[in-house]
Amino acid sequence: MACSKNQLQKIHRYMDEEMNDEEQKMLEEHVSDCGDCAAHLKEMRQTVAIVQSTSHFKAPDDITQNVMNQLPKQPPAKKGKVWLQKHPFMMTAATFFLVFIISLASGFSPDANQIAVQGEGQFYVDESNGVVIVPEGEAIYGDIRIENGDLNVEGEVHGDVTLVNGEHIQASAGGVTGEIEEINAFYERIWHHTKIFISDVFSLSSDTTEQTDLSIWF
Amino acid sequence: MDTVVKRIIANIKKGDQEAFAELMDLYKDQVYHIVYRMLGNVHEAQDVTQEAFLRAYMNIDTYDEKRKFSTWLFRIATNLAIDRIRKKKPDFHLEDNVPGTADLDYHSQFSNEDPLPEDQLLQLEMQEWVQAEIMKLPPKYRAAIILKYLEDLSLKEIGDILNLPVATVKTRIHRGREALRKSLGE
Ligand SMILES: [Zn+2]
Repeated sequence: MACSKNQLQKIHRYMDEEMNDEEQKMLEEHVSDCGDCAAHLKEMRQTVAIVQSTSHFKAPDDITQNVMNQLPKQPPAKKGKVWLQKHPFMMTAATFFLVFIISLASGFSPDANQIAVQGEGQFYVDESNGVVIVPEGEAIYGDIRIENGDLNVEGEVHGDVTLVNGEHIQASAGGVTGEIEEINAFYERIWHHTKIFISDVFSLSSDTTEQTDLSIWF
Repeated sequence: MDTVVKRIIANIKKGDQEAFAELMDLYKDQVYHIVYRMLGNVHEAQDVTQEAFLRAYMNIDTYDEKRKFSTWLFRIATNLAIDRIRKKKPDFHLEDNVPGTADLDYHSQFSNEDPLPEDQLLQLEMQEWVQAEIMKLPPKYRAAIILKYLEDLSLKEIGDILNLPVATVKTRIHRGREALRKSLGE
């Protein structure tokens, strides 16, 4: 074992080739005088050499064909489209703006930071991190709506996802077959509810899930 | 190389599924190798590799072409492998953990029906031993060590794959290296 914690750190930096010439020289001098550090460095180098000596091997031959057989017939759906582009009529909605600031006040009530989830299926809520997780192996058939929480899909969601004040965490690259709509900023939130209002009043949208959401706001 | 990958990905996005087979042929060995080293089991490695490619296909639209494709792909694969390790802990697979049979799995890497010559057998034992020591590392150190020493990736790339700052990657490599030194030296 290296003679001190400090020297051990230096040995690591030396191995990572992060030392300047002077530091390197100093460490080499120390190692030539200190049996403990010399042994430690030698063992460390041997360890790396042993690990690197393991051979690489090829993937089984049938891997490509197995995956190709599982690909869906249709190309994957485009994801993450900007919602405003798809709903240009929104741009003319300013008239309704005031009406919505009022109704939104209730949306920012004391429980505004509580995670609210709407949807049917197996998911769990990690409250400490504010994440709604669809576990691997689970599939949700239908739309989900989450407020004040992020979504991590490790399994599959066969439907649309609406995230209010939250985001879709891509880390595990789980599958969402529908559209993902994220409404994060305050004003976007207002726009969104304006959209719901418009779709209700003018029947511009046939999306029934959004219609049912209305009960929360009115 | 990069232009080839870009062209293939453009074709996949246009709906050309056959292009995905080309992409797989470029990366399947590396993905399989990383995943195998993390899981230490050929069946699971194949399963996770296939799953990783399937997810890459389904999410190809979220891949940012300004970044390296392999980084994105390895991230999906290592995440799946780490998930798998976490889930494995409580219920062990019999085939993975019966003492003395660990090498069965390794032997199946080589579809050689003839008995192995002596030096090859020695080599094989050495491989098994190293893999067994890698498997003793906690998953977070394991991933960093594999990407650094078996895949020869830069600290920056490893950080991008594991979604960690470079300083954290360094710490994990240091600790992993130290743990391996101790266990290999025993
Ligand atoms: Zn010393």
